[in-house]
Formats: sequence, C-alpha cells, structure tokens
Amino acid sequence: MLGLAWSFTGSPISAPKHESTVSGNPALCIKMVTPVIRTVDLRSDTVTKPTESMRSAMANAEVDDDVLGSDPTAVLLEREVAEIAGKEAAMFVPSGTMGNLISVLVHCDERGSEVILGDDSHIHIYENGGVSSLGGVHPRTVKNEEDGTMEISSIEAAMRSPKGDLHYPVTKLICLENTQANCGGKCLPIEYIDKVGELAKKHGLKLHIDGARIFNASVALGVPVKRIVQAADSVSICLSKGIGAPVGSVIVGSKSFITKARWLRKTLGGGMRQIGVLCAAALVALRDNVAKLDDDHKKAKILAEGLNRIERLRVNVAAVETNIIYVDLPKDPKFGAEDACKSLEVLGVLVIPQTTFRIRIVLHHQISDSDLEYALSCFEKLFSSVPEEKV
Amino acid sequence: MVTPVIRTVDLRSDTVTKPTESMRSAMANAEVDDDVLGSDPTAVLLEREVAEIAGKEAAMFVPSGTMGNLISVLVHCDERGSEVILGDDSHIHIYENGGVSSLGGVHPRTVKNEEDGTMEISSIEAAMRSPKGDLHYPVTKLICLENTQANCGGKCLPIEYIDKVGELAKKHGLKLHIDGARIFNASVALGVPVKRIVQAADSVSICLSKGIGAPVGSVIVGSKSFITKARWLRKTLGGGMRQIGVLCAAALVALRDNVAKLDDDHKKAKILAEGLNRIERLRVNVAAVETNIIYVDLPKDPKFGAEDACKSLEVLGVLVIPQTTFRIRIVLHHQISDSDLEYALSCFEKLFSSVPEEKV
Repeated sequence: MLGLAWSFTGSPISAPKHESTVSGNPALCIKMVTPVIRTVDLRSDTVTKPTESMRSAMANAEVDDDVLGSDPTAVLLEREVAEIAGKEAAMFVPSGTMGNLISVLVHCDERGSEVILGDDSHIHIYENGGVSSLGGVHPRTVKNEEDGTMEISSIEAAMRSPKGDLHYPVTKLICLENTQANCGGKCLPIEYIDKVGELAKKHGLKLHIDGARIFNASVALGVPVKRIVQAADSVSICLSKGIGAPVGSVIVGSKSFITKARWLRKTLGGGMRQIGVLCAAALVALRDNVAKLDDDHKKAKILAEGLNRIERLRVNVAAVETNIIYVDLPKDPKFGAEDACKSLEVLGVLVIPQTTFRIRIVLHHQISDSDLEYALSCFEKLFSSVPEEKV
Repeated sequence: MVTPVIRTVDLRSDTVTKPTESMRSAMANAEVDDDVLGSDPTAVLLEREVAEIAGKEAAMFVPSGTMGNLISVLVHCDERGSEVILGDDSHIHIYENGGVSSLGGVHPRTVKNEEDGTMEISSIEAAMRSPKGDLHYPVTKLICLENTQANCGGKCLPIEYIDKVGELAKKHGLKLHIDGARIFNASVALGVPVKRIVQAADSVSICLSKGIGAPVGSVIVGSKSFITKARWLRKTLGGGMRQIGVLCAAALVALRDNVAKLDDDHKKAKILAEGLNRIERLRVNVAAVETNIIYVDLPKDPKFGAEDACKSLEVLGVLVIPQTTFRIRIVLHHQISDSDLEYALSCFEKLFSSVPEEKV
C-alpha cells in the first residue's frame, strides 16, 4: 500500500512530496511518489489541539505561583467550574487520573477503606490501580450494565456492613462515571444518579462522579451540569477532552474537600507553578466549545449509520448517545481489530482496538465533515470486499 | 490621603519567576500532540535536550520537582520494605509531604546534613542496612543527595563528594538519586557542566520552573529503563498530561536564555548579603552564600520574630519567607532588578536600623 498515490474522488488528496533516485544516476532515476496521507485522528477526544484563541489566551495569561500563593487565572477557572457544577469549590489538576485519584483518596481517608465502582469503569481499568498501589484503597467492583449504570441492588449488596466485621474493609465511597466510556459514551439517567446519591447518604457514604465527559452528557441530555451532578459530593471534569483545552481537569466539591485535595495534589506532585497558562486555554474552551459537543454527537450518529451500512461491520447505532462509537468486525482470526487499526493507520485514519474484534472511534470538534467522509470511505475500502490480506 | 502604590519585590522563591515575552511567544506557537496516546513533539525535543545536558540516556517531563523526586524514589525503591537514605534537612524529607512513605510505602532513613549540604560518608555507610536481610530491617535501596542543598543555604556539593557517594552506592548495590532542583545554580557557581556534576547519579530531578524561569515543571533523567518505569508511574500519579508542548516550549526558551543569567542572581545574592550583614542588628554569613539563597538571622526578640518581620516587610512590598523563628530566607532570581535589590535592602534597613519597631 505504501508508495502508491491514490484518492477516492479521482484527484490526488495532496501533492506528492518524495522522490528517490537510484544511486544518484539520473538515467536510473525512478520516481516514486509517496503521497502525503491526510490524518483523521479518531483515537480520542484528548487529541484536540489548542485553537488560535486558546494560543492567544495562553500567551497573554496573567500568572503567578500557584503553590506559594494562587495563580489568578487558575482562580478564575476554578471559580467558573465550581459555578458550572454547582459546588462550593474547585481545583485544577494535571489530568483526569489525578482528579479521580485525589477524590478517591480524600473520601477514603481511613486505612482499610473500600470504594464501590463499575467493573468497566475508567478508574478501575485505566488508572493503573493507583487508588490501591498509592492510596491503599480496596476496590469492590459491581457490574456495569450496557447503559453504564450499576444495578442499585448490586451496589447495596456490595456495601460492607457498618458493624465493622473483623473480615471486612470499610466502604466509604461509591463512584459513578458519566458519560460511561467503556459502555459506549453512555449518559447516566439523572434520576439514577439521584437514587445512588440517596443510597450513599442513607449508608453514610460519599458519591464521586468521574465526569471526564460530563459536558457531553449535559449537551446530549439538554440538562445543566449542576443538575446532573447535584447528588455528588465530588466530580472530576476534563478540560482536555471534548472541549479541547491542551491539558488538565478540574475537581469540584465542598470547600473542605478541596482543601484536603490541595494537600494531596501537592503530595502527588501535581502542584504546578504558573498554571495560568493552561487555565487560560481552559477558560476559552469553556466559553467556546461546550455547545459544539452537539456537533460531535451528530457526527457520531452519521458515522455510526454509515459504518453500520457496511455489510460486514456491525454498529449499534441506537446505542450511540454521545461521541463514542464501537464498531464490531467479523470474527476473523486472520484480521482482528488490531490488524484493522494498522490498515486504517496506513490510510491515515487513527482509531483504537477496543477488544479483539471491536474498534473504538471518538469524535471531537477537530474532525470535519470531510474527515468523516474520508474515514467512512476507508472503512468501506477495507471491509466492503472479501477479507483483505493483512497490509 | 495618598496611598502610594507599593512596589513588590518578590524574594520568596525562584519559583515566582513569570514567563518572559519570548516564552509566551514560544508557548503560543508550540507544536503539540497528545503526550499520553503518543508523544508531544516539543516535549520530545525538551526531553532530548535535558538528557543531553545531564549526560543521561533519557529524560521525562513532570509537572513538579516533587513528582520528579517521588517518581525517582519509587522507581528505585521498587520492592516492598525499601528504605532510602537522605539528608535530615533535605527537601524530599521536609517539604514533600512524606509522599515517598504515604504513597510509595518507602521508609526514610535520615542522616544529618552538614552545614555545607553534604552528609558524612561514614554516617551514610552506618545508615545502610545489612544486606544479609535481617528480620528487623528494611532493605536499603537508594541514597539521595540534594544539589544545591536548599535548607543549608543553597550550597553546592563538591563534585568529588558526589563521586565518592556514587562509589559508595555502587559498592553496596544501591542507586544514587540527586534532587537537582537547582542543579543549574550549582553548575554556574562551580563553572562545571551539569553532566560532570551528576555523572555518578543514576537519576536526577531538574527544575525548569525555578531559576531558569519556565512557568511549570521539572525533568527527570536516567537510563532508558528507568525512564520507562518512570513514565508508567507518572501516569499512575496523575501526571500524564496531554498537549504539554505548550509548557515544554517555554522550558526550551528557559534553557536557551536563562542558564547563564544565574550568575547574576549569585552576584546579587552576594551584594544583598553584604548589605544586610552591614545592618548592625542583623547577621548574615556572607561567606556561606554560594548561589541564590540567603539566610538572615534576626535578633532573638520574642516580640518580633521572623514571622512578624516578614509581615512588616510585606507591608513595604518586600516578600520573603520566615525560615525558622528568627531566620528569614531570601531567594534571588532573574526578575529581581538592581533597583529591586536596593529597595529591598532599604526596607530591611528601615525595619532593623533603629530601636525595636512596634509590630506594624
């Protein structure tokens, strides 16, 4: 495949760039034209790059030492996100992983703590077990249903008796994830979150929401973030995903929660100095890019439908609620998801193998309509005919 | 009533440095990418450059020196029951929230920091646990040095000393980590390249956001395999950031423009130290000022200690830090001008030249 110039619309996608000669002899000159492959990066909404207005804001940000005192732009950002989430206070953190880690560790402040969370949750699967290795917190997983929730009765069954049995750790916290990524970017029903909140309160537990993509949920449901997370004691909200800031997340909660969180952030090594640079970009993201998430959801639907029309592929279109699509491939051991992703990469389409025969696609605001068409055409190319050889 | 605009002279730390115009421009134009899913190209440039400067195989950007040290200790102390030998007045031990223990389960064994920032070689050796694996003992895995040593006054460790500690570590199968937050200050003060200073070390943590003035971050350096493990630990701690080229671009400017300037900070520190020492009621060990940190000893007046003095100075616009009950810490950096220096000195004179001031 490499070394061939090609296109789907009958004209070169972009100008050929490379030529090579054999042994420098013009008579033996072989012109090999290597086209510049366009790149359509659908691996994650974290790949979003800062926009011009973000870059300008970063260059002009008012800053100060956020450890010795406070960075004024960070303060602005934290106030705004606290307001958006309807919580008392907020704190910038370098990543969603740190946001969740800090939240779990602050709530689970006694030795022998246990946290209840989904068996397919980001915290449990993709955060390196940090809550245990760094925080000594024990996880108790409950099955994530297809819609991203955990059965209320299962959560309740997972709680340790408060009588303090010699055999049991102490349940301190329940974590929800909204949108739930591994279940396909699913929005948790608001009544469900409220119910889990009541359950937590009834049993003296805290509730943390991994709201990495909470803005996607908010836009998809047409409900303000603060209503969605009303029942939560804390929320971790990503700035660097769909709304496109270069770095960071913000955690929100009560003033006392944030005070403890600040100490833990420092301990983990997340105490950064002139972070106004990053916070300025985030403020632009909050101002400009939340509403745009609706376009990502629309594009996801369009792409999902297009992919599902390819006979050999299967996409549950109805299950696409936000910006994440799962594509199921035929169970051909000679051409699984990893092979497919490599072939797609050659064509410039970057996606992620989720399981052996499942590919994950994530839409974001830097995917254009033309990118969408191109991506779809690549899938068509790869899967429309008889099984391709591995390229 | 005329309320004058008080000028601010911030001598609390070299971390207060704000990004320069060229840094801001570099940040705005930085080439970036997702440093977790793949690698950010500007981060790669920075990491290569710092690895080269330090003479090590590889490097990795981290959000802070605290994380740099934490990762380094935890990577070296990779078995349960590990122990690390470090100075009793070291930054890792005093100012990093005990994270190596609370987060990493590593046990600290402190050795007295001498006035010059070193620890006696014989004391380090005595602190090592027998390798025979006694039922009572944790397992010594690592020695940490700090250069420049901050709490001892920004002291440069002698290079022969570092080499000796390195040999000692090797002889006993231990690793050596250098907290080189201010390693550039040491390098400029001694006139010795960083890579020579840290030659004996397995890893070094180097701050970008201190004297050389980048807005955020540090870089740790070490072998390729060390950095590979460090990268996983950085993610686990929550330090895996996305388009960090923004921050790394500023750091590249800092490395290019601001290392040599540290010499001016050292000169200013000497000048200020001398001026302060001339104030009768204050005492500064001028000879002990090697880099950009000054300790000022106040008269032991329980009615006006370091905290009170710092508050009074703050009213005048001079920001410094109370180090102990009767000791103030001053840190010079490149955004302190000659005129700032004179102003700061005059404020100290105002406060301490006459009979004991009332608390203001």
